[in-house]
Amino acid sequence: MIAQHTETPGSANDVHLGCAASKLRNVGALLAVIGIGVAAFVTLGAENGVRHFMHAYLLAFSYALSITLGALFFVLLHHLVRAGWSTTVRRIAELLTAAFPVLFILFLPILGSVMAGKPVLFPWADVQLMHDDHLLHKKIAYLNANFFAVRAAIYFGLWTLLAVYFRKKSIAQDAAPSAELSLSMQRVSAPGMIAFALTTTFAAFDFIMSLTPTWFSTIFGIYFFAGCLVSFFATAILLMVSLQASGRLTAYVTIERFHDLGKFLFAFTFFWGYIAFSQFMLIWYANIPEETEWFLHRLNHGWAYASLALLFGHFIIPFVGLMSRHAKRNRKVLTFWAGYMLLMHWLDLYWLVMPAYDAETPVFGAAELGSTIGFVGVLIACFAHAGRNVSLVAANDPMLSESLSLQNQ
Amino acid sequence: MSSDTHNDMHANETAPTYGVLAEFDDVNGVIAAARKVRDAGYRKWDCHTPFPIHGLDDAMGIRPTRLPWLTLGMGLAGVACALLLQWWTNAYDYKLNISGKPFFSLPANIPVTFELGVLFAAFTTFFAVLGLNRLPMLFHPLLTVSRFGRATNDKFFISIEAKDPKFNASATIALLQAAGAGHIETVMGPKPSATKFPGWLVIAASSVFAFGLIPLSLAAKARFSTSSKPRIHIVPDMDNQPKSRAQTANALFADGRASRLPVEGTIAMGDLQEDVAFYQGKQGDAWLKGFPAQLTISDALMDRGQQRFGVYCAPCHGVSGLSDGTVAQRAEKLAEGTWVAPTKVTEPHVIVQPEGQLFNTITHGIRNMPAYGAQIPPQDRWAIILYLRALQKSHETGVSDVPARALPQLN
Amino acid sequence: MNTVALNSHASALLEATERPHLVQGEQTFSAVTETVCGIAERPTAPPGFWWLFGFTACLTGLLFTLIGYLIVTGVGVWGNRSPVFWAWDIVNFVFWVGIGHAGTLISAILFLLRQKWRTSINRFAEAMTIFAVICAALFPGVHVGRIWLAYWLFPLPNQMSMWPNFRSPLLWDVFAVGTYASVSLLFWYMGMIPDLATFRDRAKTHTKKFVYGIFALGWRGSNRQWHRYERAYLLLAAISTPLVLSVHSVVSFDFAVSQVPGWHTTIFPPYFVAGAIFGGFAMVILLVVPARAYFGFKHLVTTRHLENMNKVILATGCMVGYAYAVEFFVAWYGGNGYERFAFMNRALGPYAWAYWIMISCNVISPQLFWSRRARTSPIMMWIVGLFVTIGMWFERFVIVVTSLSRDYLPGSWGYFEPTLVDFGMFAGSCGLFLTLFLLFCRFLPMIAMAEVKAIMPQAHAHGDH
Repeated sequence: MIAQHTETPGSANDVHLGCAASKLRNVGALLAVIGIGVAAFVTLGAENGVRHFMHAYLLAFSYALSITLGALFFVLLHHLVRAGWSTTVRRIAELLTAAFPVLFILFLPILGSVMAGKPVLFPWADVQLMHDDHLLHKKIAYLNANFFAVRAAIYFGLWTLLAVYFRKKSIAQDAAPSAELSLSMQRVSAPGMIAFALTTTFAAFDFIMSLTPTWFSTIFGIYFFAGCLVSFFATAILLMVSLQASGRLTAYVTIERFHDLGKFLFAFTFFWGYIAFSQFMLIWYANIPEETEWFLHRLNHGWAYASLALLFGHFIIPFVGLMSRHAKRNRKVLTFWAGYMLLMHWLDLYWLVMPAYDAETPVFGAAELGSTIGFVGVLIACFAHAGRNVSLVAANDPMLSESLSLQNQ
Repeated sequence: MSSDTHNDMHANETAPTYGVLAEFDDVNGVIAAARKVRDAGYRKWDCHTPFPIHGLDDAMGIRPTRLPWLTLGMGLAGVACALLLQWWTNAYDYKLNISGKPFFSLPANIPVTFELGVLFAAFTTFFAVLGLNRLPMLFHPLLTVSRFGRATNDKFFISIEAKDPKFNASATIALLQAAGAGHIETVMGPKPSATKFPGWLVIAASSVFAFGLIPLSLAAKARFSTSSKPRIHIVPDMDNQPKSRAQTANALFADGRASRLPVEGTIAMGDLQEDVAFYQGKQGDAWLKGFPAQLTISDALMDRGQQRFGVYCAPCHGVSGLSDGTVAQRAEKLAEGTWVAPTKVTEPHVIVQPEGQLFNTITHGIRNMPAYGAQIPPQDRWAIILYLRALQKSHETGVSDVPARALPQLN
Repeated sequence: MNTVALNSHASALLEATERPHLVQGEQTFSAVTETVCGIAERPTAPPGFWWLFGFTACLTGLLFTLIGYLIVTGVGVWGNRSPVFWAWDIVNFVFWVGIGHAGTLISAILFLLRQKWRTSINRFAEAMTIFAVICAALFPGVHVGRIWLAYWLFPLPNQMSMWPNFRSPLLWDVFAVGTYASVSLLFWYMGMIPDLATFRDRAKTHTKKFVYGIFALGWRGSNRQWHRYERAYLLLAAISTPLVLSVHSVVSFDFAVSQVPGWHTTIFPPYFVAGAIFGGFAMVILLVVPARAYFGFKHLVTTRHLENMNKVILATGCMVGYAYAVEFFVAWYGGNGYERFAFMNRALGPYAWAYWIMISCNVISPQLFWSRRARTSPIMMWIVGLFVTIGMWFERFVIVVTSLSRDYLPGSWGYFEPTLVDFGMFAGSCGLFLTLFLLFCRFLPMIAMAEVKAIMPQAHAHGDH
């Protein structure tokens, strides 16, 4: 039942970023410039520096991309299942998806390295190697620079298109409640979801899996997707907490919604563990050389510690920590776990990307840290810029009242 | 508002009052009444509804149940049991090597561990909720009230027990009336005589128990006694299979034999043994003297011979060839009369035998020594003969045979 | 025509923004009780019931006769021959286990997701789960051949001092399916206790009162009981959710841990789970569409319920299609010649007919559900449900048989031919499933009355926060 709400809670100014928007955008942009600048500065002069920089850059890029993709999925899912509870949270996700075009521009250095035929990141960019290697030779039809560029353009094109469509329509609904707009978003969400599934899978194959071009795993797209969702829900909780700390949205997002977000964070942490275990166990058990190689690097040398840290840190510890409803209904505890999971998601991507740079020892330094901070800055800047003139909540959405009144058992 | 007494018990025996039951027509009525009963300070009372009502827990002041902790604890116990079970059975008690994986391999143990954790947790949840709710309880005074049948259909009830210290028949009824109850009645408990345990049930239970012991005691007897009879064969399984044994008759083929001869003019792979010296120890019609030409006499061959001699010959002929092997010793001791003592390898008639003849003896056997041709490949037979020659030599050796450089070691 | 289009658009608009009542008509609590109890309380079964029951019972008889024949003779009565040692037995096992997933999904996952429409169909689907798992467990049970040694599957001390091999996925199956069957049974029974109490309280004869009374355990609808009961239900739902994922994942491990081309692929666990939900929902549609017309509870299981289920079928159908595509792509991308061959062989080899039946039934036929008209038409959804069920059987056939019939050594390739016993046992398992189902419809509460009542508008207190 939809509860009757005669007046909108809260005053007008607590749903807008207002003058904080431009400040936040500038801070984000500054972080981006400094972070990526530092990363470039410490690596580019050194021996093997370009390779190092590019790997650190790809790591940070995938981190930002995964959060943004998670946000897009959340919006699509909300409309697809005609959800009610998530209405108050949805605008945050919509604003996060504004980062896609900027991410595409920031993708150009990666694309450039491939187009130039330099195997600084992807070994398959080396045309000679592809022709000489017995196994890689068979993959030329897919792993080549031109097709890679076309695919990347398709991915970013579709993501941007979907993001813009849903953000525009949703913001249009702020002006006047309209079932027509809700209906059209729901209609687009189903094909949108199919497009999302395919592009995300192949993007995961292209941007991360092909770092080791001989390796393959059918579940890899879903593995990456699980990480996207974990990081998005963690980001949403952190964003919501910081917005409320500044006095915004307090009337809209109650502890019930934090509880819901916490449940999803918990569920997708579990889902990630399930997918990661499936991938590892099947490869470990069958022990086929071209598959095992990938895990062998990650289970030996210094990388063994990273793998163990993932097992405990990304799965067992948060699983125990987030299980109780008290953890999910306590803002401080939940904030801790959200921040923690964002850290763990970064470790996950680090574990995926960086062994391609150095399979023996995990490297960590200003390059990794700087580029990550830089890309987080990009996300902040894009969020603030997109949110400069709009409400932070879909205030006229017909489902809003349900989201406000729905309680957990 | 009506109030009457429900009592269909026999008049000569007084049944204790169980309590008061009040009926309500809708959800709001029962919630409001529950608040009033709670505020009046009652402890032993309850609401009865056809479905769980949101908000009634608060209205009644029910504290959260500890059920989740039980579930979690037993789930973890299941996980621990599963790990212990898998470690003990596969990595400790009976180690099994499976495709070279470690005996205790966690990745492969996760599925069973997870399932047992779930199994323990689910069973605990189910039985704990029954236990905490004191179910099954097939008899209850409330179930004897005919109106109460609608508690599982469409009506809402509040029952207050007489055991409650605040219970006072008229005051309690008044409270419920004031709370808006549509119908109130007093419920009687069972007569004291009805609560006695029925005697026939005791007899039935003890006889079932006694009969149940019979199979157990039979099993126990079988466990601690021996029998010379073969085990009971309920299912003949694969003991009697239709098949052809070698050298038996079989009507399937025209010649009536089960064994098939090779196709005429063909020979099986590896059976073409043209080299008579190597495969039969012959040179023309005579026994071969010395070793076949293709054999390289080497220390390796000698070692091999010693080792094979130890495996195949020493049990009878003895490690030093003096016919004092363990089998020979035991046969002497049994003195059964059919035993022919093995020949000492140092006997002069053995020493003079050509190598080819010795080869033939090993291949086909002699007197009661069986043929070893099927067990020892030709190369190894020759190695044994080489070692045999060394053994023979060792028995008739003197200081003159020792090389000068090794002499000091003898002293 | 124009008005119809306008109306459907208007109703779509309304639906986009409002939550309609799930139970249709002016329903009272007692009317729900009457509808559900009325079916089981009828003195005589509805016309044709016993004819149908007789037919399915005959099929069940056929199943057990053939099982007897198989035990006495050996598994050679099936068409299983080198190199295809796993054939219809395993196909049927995976097929039935898959069907069994919808029940727990509806009861557990949809419960956690606050999908209230589940209440009208969950009992139904849970019962289906139990019966499907019974059918499933039969096949690996008899496929071991010497079934009197089946106790070797369990870690029991025995005269050989040996233990089962816990690193074998086949043993994981024993634990997974065993746990799933037990937990589903508990879940189903626990949900039914309040409704059995309703049956008890309405029973007219002593026998009925006694039998329903025993199983109702003395439930009194006490709120102190409801409080713990609801918490336990939530806990069981939370436990069952990962359990559902695990069961079909473990079934997929049977194949995926091996090195057989076409079997070893990491996407198997989630792909099998999606396929199981897909097939299970199709089976719910196959059963509920005729049952609600036959027993007359269309106002409780409304077109909206069916439409929601069809949407789930469409979504999971797309997931299964996604898995087929990714599997095919990575077989090529991996560069392994055997893997590439295995997939080309599926699509173009001697079993291409099975592969294309699978694709058209599983991927193409549910696409009809993009159309609202197809989603809401009982006949259309029943036909699609049938196609999906067939398609999911063929999916397992394609996986099990094509990979085994042609693996690494062309010298030992073969082609599988089923025998009459194979056909008879599959038909018999359908008979067993339907027999149990018909008995359930006749004697047990087919719809979770207490849960349906709890989501009716008058079940909520006014002004209560």
